[in-house]
Order: sequence, then C-alpha cells, then structure tokens
Amino acid sequence: MRKEAIGPSQLFAMIVLFELGTALVVPVGLESGHAVWLSILMALPGGILLYLVFTHLYLQFPDLIISGYARKILGPWIGWTVGLLFLPVLLYNGSRNLREAGDLLISASYDKTPILIIDSIMIIAVMYILSLGIEVFARTAEIFFWIIIVMGLICIFIVIAAGLVELKNLFPIHGNDLWEALGSAYPNIWIFPFGEVVCFTTILPHFSKSRKIKKTGIVAITLSACLLSFTHAIEMGVLGENLYSRTTFPMFTTITLVNVANFIQRLDALVMLTLIIGVFFKMTVYCYAAVAITADLFKVRDSKKLVIPAAVVMLFSSFVSAENYPVHMSEGKVFLENILPIFCAVIPVLLFLIHRVRKKFGLYR
Amino acid sequence: MDKTTKESGQAAQTVDSAGGKPHNPPISPDLEENITQIKARLGNSPDLIIRTYELINRTARVAAVYMIGITDREMVDHFISHVMSFESLNDDIRLAATTAEVYSYIKDNALSIGKEKLVQDINGLLEALLSGDTIILVDGLGEAVSGSTCGGEVRPVSEASTQVAIRGSKESFTETISTNIALVRKIIKNPDLWTETMKLGDVTHTDITIMYIHGIADEETIKVFKKKLQEIKVDSILESGYIEQIIEDNKYSPFPTLYNTERPDSVAGNLLDGRIAIFVDGTPFVLIAPTTFFMFFHTVEDYYQRYDISTLIRLLRFLCLLISLYGPAIFVAALNFHQEMIPTPLLINLASQREGVPFPAFVEAVMMEVTFEIIREAGVRMPSPIGQTVSIIGGLVLGTAAVQAGIVSPAMVIVVSLTGISSFATPAFNMALSIRMLRFIIMVIAAFMGLYGIAIFTIMLIAHMCSLRSLGVPYMSPLGPFVPENQKDTFLRSPLTFMKIRKRLLNKGNSSTAPGKKTAKRNSYEH
Repeated sequence: MRKEAIGPSQLFAMIVLFELGTALVVPVGLESGHAVWLSILMALPGGILLYLVFTHLYLQFPDLIISGYARKILGPWIGWTVGLLFLPVLLYNGSRNLREAGDLLISASYDKTPILIIDSIMIIAVMYILSLGIEVFARTAEIFFWIIIVMGLICIFIVIAAGLVELKNLFPIHGNDLWEALGSAYPNIWIFPFGEVVCFTTILPHFSKSRKIKKTGIVAITLSACLLSFTHAIEMGVLGENLYSRTTFPMFTTITLVNVANFIQRLDALVMLTLIIGVFFKMTVYCYAAVAITADLFKVRDSKKLVIPAAVVMLFSSFVSAENYPVHMSEGKVFLENILPIFCAVIPVLLFLIHRVRKKFGLYR
Repeated sequence: MDKTTKESGQAAQTVDSAGGKPHNPPISPDLEENITQIKARLGNSPDLIIRTYELINRTARVAAVYMIGITDREMVDHFISHVMSFESLNDDIRLAATTAEVYSYIKDNALSIGKEKLVQDINGLLEALLSGDTIILVDGLGEAVSGSTCGGEVRPVSEASTQVAIRGSKESFTETISTNIALVRKIIKNPDLWTETMKLGDVTHTDITIMYIHGIADEETIKVFKKKLQEIKVDSILESGYIEQIIEDNKYSPFPTLYNTERPDSVAGNLLDGRIAIFVDGTPFVLIAPTTFFMFFHTVEDYYQRYDISTLIRLLRFLCLLISLYGPAIFVAALNFHQEMIPTPLLINLASQREGVPFPAFVEAVMMEVTFEIIREAGVRMPSPIGQTVSIIGGLVLGTAAVQAGIVSPAMVIVVSLTGISSFATPAFNMALSIRMLRFIIMVIAAFMGLYGIAIFTIMLIAHMCSLRSLGVPYMSPLGPFVPENQKDTFLRSPLTFMKIRKRLLNKGNSSTAPGKKTAKRNSYEH
C-alpha cells in the first residue's frame, strides 16, 4: 500500500488547529493576570525550541515515531517502556478535551442531553475520520483551517465593532506583571498548548517534504501564538481580570455580551463551532498519536484496527475521570503541572541529549 | 468479445453475442447462402432491405444490403449506382469480365467514394450493416464491400435545455456522436485534440469516444482511464450515466464524481484544463473527468462575463449551496435547541406564528420539504402545460392554504421555499440532487442534536468529501489539498489576464496558457 503523505500546507493547518483547539476557548496559563496575552508571546520561543527538538529527532530518524526512536536511543527495553508510558498520557489528555467540549455544550444549550450522547457523537466522528486515514484527516484540517480563520475574523470584528474592548483592562503592565507573566508562561503555557505538539512526532514520518519541516512548523506555531495572544487579549479586554479568571469559558462569555444594533447578538453558535472544530481536531491528533504508538509498540500491522479501542477508552475516561467540572479543572492543574511537562518536554529533550551524546562518542553500534 | 476497434475499424469478432459460442462463419462465395444467413441472423426483420442486381449480361449477380431507417436513402442510392456503374469501361472489357474483375471494379468504384471497407466474415458484415453501412455482396466471392451510408432521422443541433447560458454559444450536443465530436473540433482547431474510439456493451455495441488534448492532459490519467473503460463488462450502455456509475471510484458516496455537460464550450474549456471528455453515442450528455467538487458550481458563462460580476455570482452560488443544505436544519435546530440565539423580538414573532401549529418544528419542516419534493418531481414528469398547473396548485394553493389552515407556520413556508429556490441555483443538476438528499439527513440530525449535530455531521461530510478521488485527483482540490495558484479560479474568478498558469493537479508541464511562455511546473498528485 502507498504510504500516506502530508504536504507542508496540510501540516501547517494541522498544527494551527491543534494549537488553537481548546486553548482558544478555555483560560490558559492558570493564574496569569491581565498580561496573559504577553505570557502567550513569552512562551512562544520555548515552544519553538521544543518544536526544533522534535524536528531534529525526526530528521535523524525520518521513518520512526517517538516510541520508535526512543527504542533506538535508549535501547529496546527502556525505550519500549517510555513509549508505553506515553499511551495513558495521550489518551487522558485527549479525553480531557472531550470533557471540556461536552461541558461547554451542556452549559450552553444541551442541559437535557446526557453527556454520554454528546461525547459519543464526537467520538464517532473521530473514529470515522481516522478510519479514512491520516491523509484525509490532513486535507480536512486544511479546509477547516479556513473555516476557523473566517469565523475568528467575524467574531473579532464584531466584538471590536460592538465597542466592548477596554484597553484599561490590558494596560498598564508593570515590572511585577512581567515577572508574573513569565511565571505563567513557563512552564504552564509553554506546555499547554505549545508542548502538546509532542503528538506531532507520530505524524511527522508522513511528512513529504522534510526540507520544509522547520519552516512550516515554526510559522504555524508563531501564527497560532499570535492568534491566541490576540484572542485572549480581547477576552481580557472585554471581561477584565476578575471575570476572565472566574469564567469557565471566557470566549463564550465574551461573545454573549455582543449586541450590535439590537440585531447581531448572541453569536454563541460561532464560539460553539470553534470549540467543536478545535476539540475535534485536537482529539483526533491525540487519538491518532495513541493509535500510532500502540501499533508501533505492539507491532500491529493495520493500525486502523486500533482506532475503535483507543477512541472508546478516550470516551469513557472523559467522564469517569472527574465527577464534575471543578474537579476536572483541579485535576487538570495537577496534570498540567506535574505530568504533562515530563512527556512534552523532559522526555523529548532527554532523548535529544542522549542521542547527541551517543552520536558524538560513537556509542551507536 | 473483443470490444476495441480502435485502429483497424474492423472488429474481429469471434464469439456470438447471443449464444456466447463461436459462431462467425466467413462470407461464403454463394450469394444465396449469404443472403439467407443475413436474414436468419437478423430474424427476418422487415427493415432489412436486400436488392439484387444482375450486371453485365447477367454474368455477375450482385446484392446490395442495407437497413432502412438508419441509412440515408439518397446516400444509399448514390452509393449503389456509383458502385455499379460501368460506363467508363468499354464494351469489350465489360462483356468479357469475369466475376473477379467485376468485383475489383466495384471495389475501385467504392473506393472513389471513400469510407469504404472490406469485410470478410458475417459478424463484421452485420456490425457494419447495423452501423448504417450499405454492403455490396458479389456472387462467387467470399468478401464484401461496405460503404458508409449512415443517416436516418437525427435531431438537429439545438439550444441547450439544461445548461442555459445568457451569454455564449447556443449550441448543445445532440444524440449523434460524430456531430458532438465535430462541435468540439469546431471550437478547438488544434491537431493535438486527440480522440480514441471503442465499442462498449456486449449487446448494444455503443460507440464511446474519449477526447483529450495531447500534451495538456496527463498521460497517466488517460492510461488509467482507458484501462478502466476497457474493463467494463456490461450488456448495455444506454446513456453516459451507465459509464459514470460503473467507473466511479467510490460507489457509496452521495456525491457525483464525474461531471456531465451538454455544452460544447464547456467540454472545450475542460479539455483545455487538461481533463478528458467521454462521448457516448445516443446521448447529448458528455462526461468529463477528473472532476472536482468545485466544478459543479462553475459555469462556462463565468468566463464570458466580466470577472467582478462572475465572482459575485459564484459566491452567491456557494451561499445558495449553504442555504439549500442547512436552511431548514438550522431553522429546526434554532427553534428546538437554541432559542436564545434568535433575537428576542424575532423569537416572539416566531412563537406567535407557531402558536396554533399542532406539530413540532421538525415534523412541520419534513412535511413541507416532502410536499415540495413531490411538487417538484410531479412537475418534472408532467407535460409542460400541465406542469405549470401543478406548480400553481402546489405553490399557491398548498402553501397559502396550509398556512391558513394552521398546519404550518408562515416562517416555515418561507424557509422551505427559500431552500427550494436555492437548490435550483446549483448549476449542475446531479449535484443539486445530492444536496437535496443530504438536506433531509441534516434535518433529522438537527432535530435530535441541534447545531452540535450539524457541526459534527459537517466535519464528517467534509472528511468524506476529502477522501473521494476522481481518477486519482482529490475531489476537494484545490482547497484540500490547498493549491494556491488555483485559488484564482475557485471561489473567485480573477480577470483572464491573471490566469496565465493552467490549473495544477490536472496537467504536468506545459502549464502556461500563453503560448511560448512555458513555465513547466511539476505536478503533484498527493498534496
């Protein structure tokens, strides 16, 4: 069978959609103050450096996914174990996205629909698209990239046109705020959403033009950082620091305040669509990563067989992991601070360093 | 059975189509036996005409065989009289001529008319006969001359009825394949316009011609396509729709993956983009491959009008696509799940309209949509004078009466009729049909899951469309995969002077539309 191939513009669209995903809708950086937009930009260089680590490893092992080269670098036993450890993290993080989308939908307008139904519909779509293959997924991402951009522009334009943005909520920024911003940028924003790009280590082997890999990814990450920063600046400008940190979905709250000429009001649908599309793509990437690593670890020839089990695990863990949304959020905090950095940053950087060392001293046989 | 008659023009048929057993005797030297054989094979059909002559002092017996109705009467008479005229010979030779010599005169005479060919066996003879040829059989010779006298009643070239254009050529294809090919040749006067002919259908022996511009169309695509056509094994090809359904890559898709048109200028334009056209004898609808989704929303007229107007009209068509797909679904979703999204005064207005309506919004919408589909279907099949009556009864009486009787709300009538009219704005009828079907599915989903269901279904729908391919070309190109240079002619229609580079994905090399300015861009099929 022909190897599925992804072009630069498709990878670009996938990374942007993945980065924006939930980060656009939920508050990022946990305890960042009104300088959240600055924290996002501060986290950008770290995100790019991390991406360069991934691409370096990819260029060294162009046909292998992360669990594959972990075995090469750390030896079969340790490498295999490290690969296995990725699985629960990927599945859990994917299920967190699903949970967030489900809760937003329920709080927005599906208060009578069971969360199982809402989540399983999303999961069915994930299964369907993954059964069509990563190439189809990439092409779909390309189309939705434009849809998200258009919807985002409409939202931003209308929020600004409604005269809701108050710059006094964003400025002034004192020296103290800068340190605070830096504190929330590293490690929190650095890991979520930028560190999560670790999932793409399983997609990169499908990339067709390895010469363009660095440029494509860096531009995509920079663009998404700018979009995120801008969106969160607007959210902060509309809501103010107090409201921003208290609402579950700042973007949703922002858009409900819009009222232009008593006619354009309640654009919640656009936010819901943004969230659905973002969550969908993020979850699909997580699910794909989990499937690819499983297939690699257990030598499953036809990885599409694993899509259904992985998706079902994701579905159930999304609502058994926490009994309600506040618990979910506090778990998320623990997860984001303690577990995610290990997998998104520590392990890849260690792999990178060990690989450099082994290569330099000729320790590869 | 051998289906290809490409080079020789003579089918070497070895298997009898009806019985499947070898039954192809050579033409016997005995004239009577041949005539009996032909009559028997054609079941003594009354439209078979056999005229026998005794030439030159009754030394040579000759028979002319043709089918009435599919031949041109005048041409037959002319052919026969021309073939059998021996005035140019002097009497001595004429009187002394042997059968073989008579036959060679006949052959020479036929040659001077042109389009003659020799047949050696009965099956070849029958095939020529049924294609409208006149056959000359000579007693004592195991060979026959056939001359093309093809004719009969044909519909003249008339105005296009399904793809009407305000501006542009008024010609449309007819049912005769040779006329259709000629119509395209008249537009593209270029030696690189190549055609290849084959016969398909074990019973119907339908002529199929594929046409492409050598050097612009991708060789690989043509090869794949020809292979696909040759693999077709069916009894009959009655319309190009048969071929369309057989060679489609994905049979379980609601979307058509081949485009059809009855306009020669549309075919010419697509050929110039590097596509392949498939002509089928007996239908004015020519297939075009490879097809992308956006082709169904373009018309040739877009290129004839000025670019700004064409761009706006194109955008309008895409808006109509969205309305006809999502119109009733969004209305139902908003009423059932998302009342808060409707501005309050409008919501109160809608609620008061729906006050006396005894059905949920979904039932109301389905009822109206089904009624609309019934009226439309009845209107299509009716003779045109009655068709108008149907539309008046349907539109005015049903619509107004249903509202006044309190069965549906006026807002629903507006939504349904807007949807209906929007679906007519899709230039391609087969795409409009697919959209009609999907509209009902989306409506059901909207009734159960609201906007969330619509969004998820849309993601799945677009993913499905991205997975489709038409002859190897991704269906959603140039959007997914994204091809920047083709964006000038997808949603927009940029000025003609900007479109110097021929669309990618369809042709390798030779990508400049301006002669002498070749920007050989490599084509990539994957992304």
